[in-house]
Amino acid sequence: MSRRRRFWNVFRAARVQDDIQRELAFHLAERADQLRADGLSAEEATRLARRQLGNLSVQAERTRDADVALWADACARNVRFAVRALARNPGFAIPVALTLALGIGANTAVFSAIDTILLQPLPFPDGDRLMRVTQTSDDSAETNIAPARLEDWNRLSDTFEAITGYFMEDVSDTSGELPERVRRAFVAPRFLDVWGMAPARGRDFVAAEHQDGGPSAVLISDRYWRSRLGGNPNALGSPVRIGATSYPIVGIMPAAFRFPDRDVDLWLPSTAAASAPRAATWYEGVGRLEPGVTVDQARADLAVVQTQLGAQYPDTDAAVAVSVVPLKDAAVGGVRGSLWLLFGAVSVLLLIMCTNIAALLLSRAVQRQQEVAVRFALGASRVTLAAQMLTETAVLVFVGASISLLVVAGASAAFRMLAPTFPRLDEVSISWSMVLCTVVSAIVVAVFCGLFPAIRCARGLDALGAAGRAHVSHRHSLQWLLVGVQVALSVMLLAGAGLLLRSVQELSRVAPGFDVSRVLTFRVSGSYAESRDYNRVVQRIDGTLDELQALPGVDSAATATMLPGVPGQYEIEFTLVEGRADTEPRLVAESRFVSPSYFETMQIPVLDGEPCRRRPVGESDVMVNRAFAERYFTPRSPIGLHLVDSGRIVGIVGDARERGIDRDPVPTVYACFSAPNPMPAYLVRTRGEPEGMAQAVRVKLKELEPLRSVYDIAPLDEQIGSAFSENRLRSWLLALFAGTALSLACVSLYGTLSYTTRLRRREIGLRLALGAGRGGVVRQLLASALRVVGLACVIGLGLTALFTRVLSGMLFGVSTTDPATLAGVVALVLTVAVFAALLPAVRAALLEPVRVLREE
Amino acid sequence: MKTKTRNDILQGPLALLVLKTLASNGRMHGYAITAHIKNVSANLLRVEEGSLYPALHRMEQDGWLRSEWGVTERKREARFYTITRRGHRQLAEEEACWTQLTDGVARVLGYV
Repeated sequence: MSRRRRFWNVFRAARVQDDIQRELAFHLAERADQLRADGLSAEEATRLARRQLGNLSVQAERTRDADVALWADACARNVRFAVRALARNPGFAIPVALTLALGIGANTAVFSAIDTILLQPLPFPDGDRLMRVTQTSDDSAETNIAPARLEDWNRLSDTFEAITGYFMEDVSDTSGELPERVRRAFVAPRFLDVWGMAPARGRDFVAAEHQDGGPSAVLISDRYWRSRLGGNPNALGSPVRIGATSYPIVGIMPAAFRFPDRDVDLWLPSTAAASAPRAATWYEGVGRLEPGVTVDQARADLAVVQTQLGAQYPDTDAAVAVSVVPLKDAAVGGVRGSLWLLFGAVSVLLLIMCTNIAALLLSRAVQRQQEVAVRFALGASRVTLAAQMLTETAVLVFVGASISLLVVAGASAAFRMLAPTFPRLDEVSISWSMVLCTVVSAIVVAVFCGLFPAIRCARGLDALGAAGRAHVSHRHSLQWLLVGVQVALSVMLLAGAGLLLRSVQELSRVAPGFDVSRVLTFRVSGSYAESRDYNRVVQRIDGTLDELQALPGVDSAATATMLPGVPGQYEIEFTLVEGRADTEPRLVAESRFVSPSYFETMQIPVLDGEPCRRRPVGESDVMVNRAFAERYFTPRSPIGLHLVDSGRIVGIVGDARERGIDRDPVPTVYACFSAPNPMPAYLVRTRGEPEGMAQAVRVKLKELEPLRSVYDIAPLDEQIGSAFSENRLRSWLLALFAGTALSLACVSLYGTLSYTTRLRRREIGLRLALGAGRGGVVRQLLASALRVVGLACVIGLGLTALFTRVLSGMLFGVSTTDPATLAGVVALVLTVAVFAALLPAVRAALLEPVRVLREE
Repeated sequence: MKTKTRNDILQGPLALLVLKTLASNGRMHGYAITAHIKNVSANLLRVEEGSLYPALHRMEQDGWLRSEWGVTERKREARFYTITRRGHRQLAEEEACWTQLTDGVARVLGYV
């Protein structure tokens, strides 16, 4: 208790002081009265009373010492002293505080992103029990699940509470005046059970609504409710119109529920009957594990279930296997590498910043050697002096950490803007775990940064004399070591950034096999329900293509299941109607459905045979690429052969990077069929800038299909670019970190060399006086700096070898040991180092020897 | 808080004397304490005034004394001290200690 009082008395200094003064004054008055009563004069009495008490201020001081906790008092004094000292030297304090703010802030921002995206469970009750369930088979890339099989899995497995499925489509919401694109998900029974969520208002679907011909119903998202229905509390029961059909709203989901993706606004009960063919593929599957069940147990369980089904339905189920992956991994797996890479880079940067600040503090300590030595001589203890240095650091770190919270807030906003496609980004926010993280980093940094100067301060101050007349001694080796560490780490970051940037550059330089420029892409809403009458779908899409092609300014128009060059693959095994020897390789190839005009539109050359033509539904032409023909048919030609379920191969086209421009072309089969599903991607080759045609296309489609909406309208190069935006963001961020690291290292190099030359002024002056050339002095100083930098470069390259092992999966078109990049990095570092070292070296060489020698 | 036994011959007896004085007389200010000790010891002991106030404050911080501002009979503002329960315990301890010490010293001196 009294310990606490003593602590608080530190901050009530004035009050405590006043009390003591009054108490002592009373004592003096009483004593004087007494003495006067004993017969002394008033004046003498006062004097004697004072003499008996002793020195008044010493008394007050000693009494006060009893009242306050000395350590706390010393701390408060140190803090006051530190603030004063720092305020006197803003040129030192501001850069250090800002450096710290940036370092801690960047670190915290990246870590909080990692924390939310990779470490936190998905934002559903027991989110870790949610699994992505898919079917796999050797001869097909199809992972969607037939309704009957989904029901079988759900019924037969005992490791899952429930398994459900969904599929999405972009349709036209005609509730308002203009049709608007809306994404809806058809969901299998048990959908909300699996998520463990309930509608915020209204109810879940009932069993009857999942029956074919049962009542219709729709659940709407919170966003849809607020933006389209104005948050009307009586929205339940009112209709949502899709195309020509109305669905009554039965419930509104909570705002946090955004699944299967954040664009979904409507959920409808799927009426897919369990009697649908087992070969059909409908659902993407998700399941919720029973509590306490591991992923491996679930996998084993479903594997057993599927084996039974394989025995029961050998035709459709024997070749099918089940894959179970935690939903979180499925959702964020792609960005895991990038995030950890950024975190690593940012941590290295923080380390460099600490080293830099330690070096700055160190040279500051040396600059203040005189002052410190005087105070030491006047009786300050080493501990006191060291404590003071540590306090100064702590104050800096505290200020830096406070500013860093601003950096953090800004960083998450910037992150959201630059990489909108990152999964779970909307969940990232400033959380307490993040604040805690900042505080911990601050403490670590304080200890790390403050320790060296403090130790040296406590140790190295032999005498007043030494401070004035420093020799070139081993003492600078610590400074140079810190510079070396920074340079080495910078080299590592620069090399990583260089390789990533080279990859981005290579990626833009690659010849994809098709012409990316002047292609406008978009989609037109549609529903899988239309596929009941396929002839109509084909008619509609072919009609649209013809109209688009006739637009002035359009060279050609095509459809495709997937956009070329945007990452995505669909690999299946084909079989020949004509048969194929078992000894020959299996015909595994990427499968693409494209309209016959695709090759003209994308400018993929037809190398052999003839271009494909429009055919009636069911007898489409097939084109294969050169890789397919060469891999599987050399020296024969595949032209004229028939692929089961696809059609006759009529021609061979050039290889194109269909699967993503970062992947080499693979054997590809194009089935020439413009309407593989009711909502393919449209590609329009324009004569001018593609954006210029966007309005004309919209107007045309409005005229053709007033009830449908056009969306995702963008030039192809932009679509490809945004598919690789994470890639670019990662590269530029790393480059930014590396650049910062290098500039910090240079500041440190400059500071250290300036400091060394200051210490060696006398020696240099002496040598100049004895006739040494100024050029020689510059050369010698430069050499001493470059020796350290050169050694650090070598070590940095060694570190790079470790670092690039992490990078290897992210590189494109460059090897991890790309000599041009590495040499470039070393050259850059050496050049910058020479510039940083030149100024202090030249300044030293321009010393007036006489003046220097007189100074001593 | 742990009670401290001081070997310091100046501090030790001073604390003991102050505690004893306050224990027998109740509420007193610093000047009265010096006067009391001087009178009772028949001028044999004189509290060094320089050590008194630091000692009083330390004892207060240790929780042996409590202080408050008040007015003397002659209408002067003074800080009055009273002994706390913890102070009484400390007094008992220090008295025992002191007795032991003086006993021991007497025996050594009395040994021929």
